Amino acid sequence: MIASFDALETLLALGLTVVALACLFDRHLVRACCFFVAFALAMTLAWWQLGAPWLAAVELLLGAVLTGLCFFYALGRFFPGVSSPLERDSFNEPWTRAFARLLLALAWFVMVGAAIRYVITDMVYSPDEQPLLLAGVMITASALGAFALHRHVLRRLLAFNILGSGVFMLLAGVAGTSATAQALITVGLCIAWLGSMLGALLIRQLLHLEGVDALRDGNPKENAT
Amino acid sequence: MIWRFGLFESTFTPLVSTHWALSAALGLPLLLGMLAALFPPQRMWPVALASLPVLVSGWVLLSAYDQAGLLRWQWEVAGVSLSLRLSGLSVLLLLTTQWIGVAAALYTPGSLRLGEPQPLSRWLWPLMGVLLSALSLIWLASDLLTLYVALELMGLSAVGMLLLSGKVAALVAGMRYLLLALVGSLAYLLGVALILGQWGRLDLQGLAAVVEPGPVAWIAAALMGAGLALKAALFPMHGWLSPVHGSAWTPVSALHAALVIKASLFMLLQLWSILLPGTFYAPRVIAWLGMLAIVWGGLLAWRTDSLKTLVASSTVAQLGYLMVVFPLLLGPDIAPLPRALAWEGFWLQLLGHAFAKAAMFMAAGNLIFATGESTLKGLAGTSRRLPLSLLIFGVASVTLMGLPPSSGFTAKWLLLEAMLISQQWWAVAALLVGTLLTAAYVFRMFRYSFDDSAPRHHYQPLAPGMDLIALALALTAFALGLLAHFPLALMRGGGV
Amino acid sequence: MNATWLPVTTLATSLLVVVIIFSLPEDARRPRTIVNLLAAVIKVILVMLMVGRVSAGREDIFSFQVVGGVDFVLRADALGVMFAGLSSLLWLCTTIYAIGYLEGSANRKRFFGFFSLCVASTIGIALADNLFTFLIFYEMLTLSTYPLVVHNGTQQALNAGRVYLRYTLSAGVVLLLGAVLLHYLTGDQSFSSEEGLGDYLNDHRGLLTLIFALLVGGLAVKAAMVPLHGWLPRAMVAPAPVSALLHAVAVVKAGAFGILRVVYDLFGIQLSIELGVISALAVAASITIIYGSLRALAQEELKPLLAFSTVSQVSYIILGIGLFGPFGTIGALAHLLHQGLMKVTLFFCAGNYAEELGIHRIDEMDGAGKRMPLTSIAFTVGALGMIGLPPVAGFITKWYLGIGAIRAEMYWVVVVLVVSSTLNAMYFLPIVHRLWFRLGPAHGQGQWPKEQRLGRLETHGWLLWPMVFTALASLGAGLLAGMPFSPLDWATRVATGEYLP
Repeated sequence: MIASFDALETLLALGLTVVALACLFDRHLVRACCFFVAFALAMTLAWWQLGAPWLAAVELLLGAVLTGLCFFYALGRFFPGVSSPLERDSFNEPWTRAFARLLLALAWFVMVGAAIRYVITDMVYSPDEQPLLLAGVMITASALGAFALHRHVLRRLLAFNILGSGVFMLLAGVAGTSATAQALITVGLCIAWLGSMLGALLIRQLLHLEGVDALRDGNPKENAT
Repeated sequence: MIWRFGLFESTFTPLVSTHWALSAALGLPLLLGMLAALFPPQRMWPVALASLPVLVSGWVLLSAYDQAGLLRWQWEVAGVSLSLRLSGLSVLLLLTTQWIGVAAALYTPGSLRLGEPQPLSRWLWPLMGVLLSALSLIWLASDLLTLYVALELMGLSAVGMLLLSGKVAALVAGMRYLLLALVGSLAYLLGVALILGQWGRLDLQGLAAVVEPGPVAWIAAALMGAGLALKAALFPMHGWLSPVHGSAWTPVSALHAALVIKASLFMLLQLWSILLPGTFYAPRVIAWLGMLAIVWGGLLAWRTDSLKTLVASSTVAQLGYLMVVFPLLLGPDIAPLPRALAWEGFWLQLLGHAFAKAAMFMAAGNLIFATGESTLKGLAGTSRRLPLSLLIFGVASVTLMGLPPSSGFTAKWLLLEAMLISQQWWAVAALLVGTLLTAAYVFRMFRYSFDDSAPRHHYQPLAPGMDLIALALALTAFALGLLAHFPLALMRGGGV
Repeated sequence: MNATWLPVTTLATSLLVVVIIFSLPEDARRPRTIVNLLAAVIKVILVMLMVGRVSAGREDIFSFQVVGGVDFVLRADALGVMFAGLSSLLWLCTTIYAIGYLEGSANRKRFFGFFSLCVASTIGIALADNLFTFLIFYEMLTLSTYPLVVHNGTQQALNAGRVYLRYTLSAGVVLLLGAVLLHYLTGDQSFSSEEGLGDYLNDHRGLLTLIFALLVGGLAVKAAMVPLHGWLPRAMVAPAPVSALLHAVAVVKAGAFGILRVVYDLFGIQLSIELGVISALAVAASITIIYGSLRALAQEELKPLLAFSTVSQVSYIILGIGLFGPFGTIGALAHLLHQGLMKVTLFFCAGNYAEELGIHRIDEMDGAGKRMPLTSIAFTVGALGMIGLPPVAGFITKWYLGIGAIRAEMYWVVVVLVVSSTLNAMYFLPIVHRLWFRLGPAHGQGQWPKEQRLGRLETHGWLLWPMVFTALASLGAGLLAGMPFSPLDWATRVATGEYLP
């Protein structure tokens, strides 16, 4: 029984990671947003799997439906008349930048991994018992790298959302699904939704005022933490 | 350090009137903001009338703290425990928030009326309400969940307010600020996750008792520190600050620079004093960054041509003063006397800067309103035509320079003494160099204003009271210098 | 009985004037004049009251705690009252003069507002009883002088203002560091405490010397000691009343007064001698005296000449401190007052020449004695005083300094005094000669640069009478030096207090 659950969990973790990576690194924006919705649905399943139905409901409503709507609104799929819908991210970055971001993501991966190793001492011996946690570490690391790498604001917003989900998953993995952890995650989901909504509004407004070039977030000095 | 933040058991339970005052202090700004969105006030007096109960609530809390000392509240909601505490420091910061918030609210109708009509202006009120409520909650909250909620509310409403002017520059800067703030709060959340996983509790008082130094505490502190430093615009992560202020509305800038940034700093210090008591390196790193911040912020402000960028960059430098104090507050082997001095100097500097920076933004806003120019060169001749606005700017900048008799001076005196006792010569040098750099950029601005050879242009008259509000704030920052005894006594935990 | 209100009221009077002036509209000329004069008179009366109380042996103290271990204290003691008396008396004269001088010009509200703030600061400096309080008013003086220096708003004035700030603010930082170091070493050290810092000598000799260097170094900038004097000649672009009161009296004297406080009331003479810093001070003062005179000799314009003369003359005060003996001290203190009276007279005269005849350069002054006799007489009195000829007040100072030098067996100081007097004579006497004995436009040869007929008399009455008063006062201070309450008498009282507690 337990073994089958584990298999399901592993499958889920794999699926989450793959969908997240697809969402993060697909230059085709509509497809990336679709991947995001898929990711949110997978997250819903994951919460259900972790025994937090309340969180699953919140994730479904806020993460999949409302945030997804925000993204499609930002893409210009609802009111196409105002300005042309967004298709692809055409901003290019030099490879040095990509390399630096890769290092950043790796460093992050090591740091968070180490921290979690200290918190959950069991993990040292059997890392495969916590596949979701492992997926969380992977997802946060790659999302952070993507967040720092991309110039396109919409992709950064996507990366932020994936990063958020990864962090929530780590939270649940590290601290369990106690009432306090659930409260934290619920608040985090609300904030992520509000932030995405604000971001989507902004993107539309910027497109309306300036065109696609305004979505290029310029200064390479300011990367994330 | 922990007891200084009021993280200990209280002797008395709060009275009923105190409960009411607490809910008024936390909820009224929000309610009034909503109300103002429905009926936007056009004049100053309705705002003044509406903000009276808020100020009264602050006063009631002050007197409650005076009589009973530390007060605590605790609730259990669906298995989640939330707690608040009212320490001397909380009262002080709460009062500061209320006064600056009310000043900004009073300033708003005039500034909205003068500028060109804005479609989004009515949304300023609810956002301001949320911001002030969230700030009040941050000063009072004593568990990580409440702090998280308050931090996020504050961050989002701050972003919203800064975007309202609707210009492209504001939107671009606001977008970046939004993304960074969101990622910053995720870093904070991850830190909370580690703490919750390791120690299984989120209340600060309990954590202070069980936290032991180790990799988890360090990494959690690093994560939370990075997230909060990003939100507080501490030195290497200050890049978003000036663009954000560049095209924001004046009262918004005033609130943001005076309070929002300080809230993150407050949380940073509070959490680190729990997670990293007596650590050597982390506060040192902050202090070194602070020294760079003083120099770099000063240079930025010195080189700029735009008045608002000058004021915003000076915030970076002023935060540097606060960062330099970190080793004295958190470091090991600091004797009680310098630590107490540094503690008092830190908060006095923070309060003085809050009032002065709010006043400075308002004065700068007034100058820009009146001249219609936002560059330093556009100020030529203002010393003759707009002496009051310029005088306010001057009084506020005296506080920033740390010249007597302002609060900046008294704070600097305390900090210098603490640094001398603990022999931190680099910090002493940084503080003194900072004074000169501040003087350099402030007087560069005055130099332009005294230039009488410029052609006259038309000056737009200001709404009545806009100058007076700024003057009141600037004078408060000034008066805190000689009357520092009152806030400091409040903070020490003794009666007034 | 402790009349706490007296020092506070004296200070508050000036501060209140600032508030009133800033709240009056720009064109409210008459109310502003009335407020200015009324406050000046009230302040003279209050300071006279304080003089009376101090001479009766009472010292009024006002204090409150700022933060733990740091108090704000005002105390009317003999030395402080002396400086307060000087500044309040000269403020009255200069206010009258400034009202006439700025007749019809722009920005008068700003001018008089900051002018009053300056004087409030000097009163604060005079009455401050510890270094913290002193520092507050000292920096206030710096800030409030800046708008006066750049008052004209010309490029030259703005540049002068920048140089002024560079010097004074850097000095303020140095002073702050010294003050905090001292506070860290000794706690709150009152100027009135009898103990001095002798207890710390054995353990902290190096630190004490460092503190002394920082404090005196910071103060020496305002006192315009070489090589820290660079701001003073440039700041002469300010209007004449500003130069008169601030750059010959208030600001430079605040620096000199601060050094007096540090040496006599903070460190104590004994300690200063043991540290060996006094002789260094005397040498620095001598260099400044000679250097200032030499530079003055090379000037072609009147105001820069007077400025360099100030550089030289203020250091007499420092030199007097350096002579460690009662005579030197008396000379130093008396010179604080005498030099103020004489220099203010000279600046008033320079302002009058510039206003009435448009004279700025020395070679334009030929025969001005006939056109403006009273001004020229006043100028002659001031110039003779600066040289140190009897019966003008300057003679008294030099006499006492000379005696002090001989008593202290520092004969090289006598040489410095003689050389300096000679140099003074070399740059002042030619001007006096031009005024009275050369033929000029008044005799029908050539023209004044820019003549205006400002009043029925030789110039505007507001400009004339203050100058006449200060010239008479400089004469009187010399002639009646033996009378009670004369500058010399009061200086002797202070010096006796320092040496024979």
